[in-house]
Amino acid sequence: MYYLRSEFDLCTGCEACMLVCSNRAAGGYNPRRARMKVLSENENLVNRPLVCTQCENPFCMNSCPFDAISKDETSGVVLVDKEKCTSCGNCVAACPDGMIRLGADKKADKCDFCEGDPLCVKYCVPGALKLVARLEQQEVQE
Amino acid sequence: MGKLLLVDLSKGTSKELPLDPKLAEYYVGGKGFGAKILYDLLPAGCDPLGSENILMFMTGPLTGTLAPANRGCVVTRSPLTGTFADSYFGGHFAQEIRFCGFDGIIIGGAAAEPSYIWIDDGKVEIRTAGNIWGLDTFATVEKIREELGDNSVKTACIGPAGENMVSFALINCEYNRHAGRAGTGAVMGSKNLKAVVLRGNKAVISAEPAAFGEAIDTAYKELAADDTVTSFTGNGTPASIDFANEEQLLPTHNYYNGTFDGAAGLNAVAQRDSFWLRNVACAGCPIACGKVGIIKRGKRKGLVTDVVEYETASMMGSNLGLSDIREVAYLVKKCDALGLDGMSAGGMVGFAIEAFQKGVITQHDTGGQELKFGDSAAVEFLLDIIAGRNGLGDILARGVKLAAAELQGGTEDYAVHIKGLESPAWGPRSVPGMALALATADRGGCHQRAFPILYEVGGQWKGRDVERLTLEGKGEIVAHLQNYLAALDTLVKCDFAAYGIKDYTYCRLLETATGTEWNVDKLLQLGDRIWNQVRLFNLREGFSRADDSLPRRFSSETLPEGPFEGQMVNPSDLGRLLDEYYSVRSWDGDGKPTDQKLEELYLDRIPVLFDKSSLE
Repeated sequence: MYYLRSEFDLCTGCEACMLVCSNRAAGGYNPRRARMKVLSENENLVNRPLVCTQCENPFCMNSCPFDAISKDETSGVVLVDKEKCTSCGNCVAACPDGMIRLGADKKADKCDFCEGDPLCVKYCVPGALKLVARLEQQEVQE
Repeated sequence: MGKLLLVDLSKGTSKELPLDPKLAEYYVGGKGFGAKILYDLLPAGCDPLGSENILMFMTGPLTGTLAPANRGCVVTRSPLTGTFADSYFGGHFAQEIRFCGFDGIIIGGAAAEPSYIWIDDGKVEIRTAGNIWGLDTFATVEKIREELGDNSVKTACIGPAGENMVSFALINCEYNRHAGRAGTGAVMGSKNLKAVVLRGNKAVISAEPAAFGEAIDTAYKELAADDTVTSFTGNGTPASIDFANEEQLLPTHNYYNGTFDGAAGLNAVAQRDSFWLRNVACAGCPIACGKVGIIKRGKRKGLVTDVVEYETASMMGSNLGLSDIREVAYLVKKCDALGLDGMSAGGMVGFAIEAFQKGVITQHDTGGQELKFGDSAAVEFLLDIIAGRNGLGDILARGVKLAAAELQGGTEDYAVHIKGLESPAWGPRSVPGMALALATADRGGCHQRAFPILYEVGGQWKGRDVERLTLEGKGEIVAHLQNYLAALDTLVKCDFAAYGIKDYTYCRLLETATGTEWNVDKLLQLGDRIWNQVRLFNLREGFSRADDSLPRRFSSETLPEGPFEGQMVNPSDLGRLLDEYYSVRSWDGDGKPTDQKLEELYLDRIPVLFDKSSLE
């Protein structure tokens, strides 16, 4: 299973990740329309990329009264079923990182991992966003 | 997008103006829009600090997209030079203009009391700035974010220097990015305008999304493959300190010489050792020339600062005899906070110190403060009195040209400016092409309109080696570079990205973004048109060949020692350079475009697109 990892020390704050993400998510460029964020702290001494980590225990999924959010067993990606979504906003309130919100169609919208090949990683020239593989508990102990 | 926002601060009103197709066709964006609108709208002889002047924030057709490294520009009539002025800024502010749905913002009139403009996704509000007036630029940004309850808003603001209309005040585009040159901040202050604050949700769409994406990928690859660009990523602009020092181009002690014993204290190695922590980029830029960090040791320990750029490291460092980058970083950050252009401030302070050494400025004028090179306290003292316009500071706040005229006493001999703009950190006495570029730059002494130094110190032009000290042929290089860069300033490009991205790739980005056909010849003609449009503005304001000049330090004082000892560009040399340059440009002997030239560029028949009624 692969995960998105973000590293503040390498992030330059260029927001190319958000631009390319917004173009896929919203059909045009605007970082505010991206499914991720880059925060700026302390006179811009730090830029902190914030991405959906496809939680093992997703608050967004757990808080959905309509079972519109599910976790794919093989990829681990947390996905929204737009047919089932009623735009109630429970998931939006539940995610402490603001990684899910209502899109232009008023349906819940979040990172779908670009079907396994995230554009944000592809356009992150400084390498602050990485795809990392998970070691199972057993492998760590070995 | 497809429209401009007009704000009239006198009336407290705003309105949207659809983009005239002729403006888009002949001027494209950025500098081009600014050149045409300023020419059409300003009456000849308008007071730069009067309510008739306009202040524009302009974007280009690529701004806000993933196309790498685009910026924005402020265009106005400069209070420092009286010329057309365009000052470019990175950061994220220009992108947000487009996210608000506009290609540019034109601000006219003047507010009755301190105000700021808040544009929330296209909705415009003029708010009181009573509680932020007087704050420095850092505190202003904080206070506005607090007031609006959102850390993600984008702010352009002035500091105390802009409020006090210091002629070289800047506009800060948080953080460490500025429309720095030619006094745009003073114009903002004259309008009682403390800040423009933006938040926009609109998405920027290209005409041909798939092809646009391919052109972007090409540009990314070109940037990654270029050595100059990767040097900016690795070491930022201060890598040029070593180059300039070796080539005797580094301003030292108010441009007395071009080499500095303490250069190693200012360069990229020194900066990395003193404070760098990570690379920082402007919106959508893979180069990331910024290097932010915290000073590790000494008196300034703990200070958060961005890279000290080559220009400010030189103008506030070697030019003032300072060789400790930590002190220079502190002083440059002070300029940023006060809202002073660090380049002009360095020129101004260097001039004042020399005037003190020569007895024209005395301790009587400074309230007992001694002024000498290599003394950071003296520099800090001067920055404070300039920003506050206290005593002597009121004279120095006018820039070196007017300060020399006021102080007299032979100070004009070392007032280093061109058309009133303090010269940038490239002493041109051993590079005559650069001297010509400075003499003919549209906003006064500027190195960004053409930078022939790279050809003069070992480059080739049209397949032939360029001789450094030769005059012949330099006019052609300068005119070509000016045209090309003026064209890219419509996009609005970043100077550093232009080293890597090829001309045909810029054309491809432009045509896939806009859906109109472009080629390199058309691009060069666009630049030529804009250069001439700006020239027409400056001519209308009374500028002529006599103003395409060099300061006496470069034209009648030779480099005193070093590898280029004895070099200068004397008035007769400059005359030859100008003759060739005017001829290449099809300008007459006085520097006026011929009728034939205007016709070739359509400038004889593009109609007036803006008049007073456009503002009403």
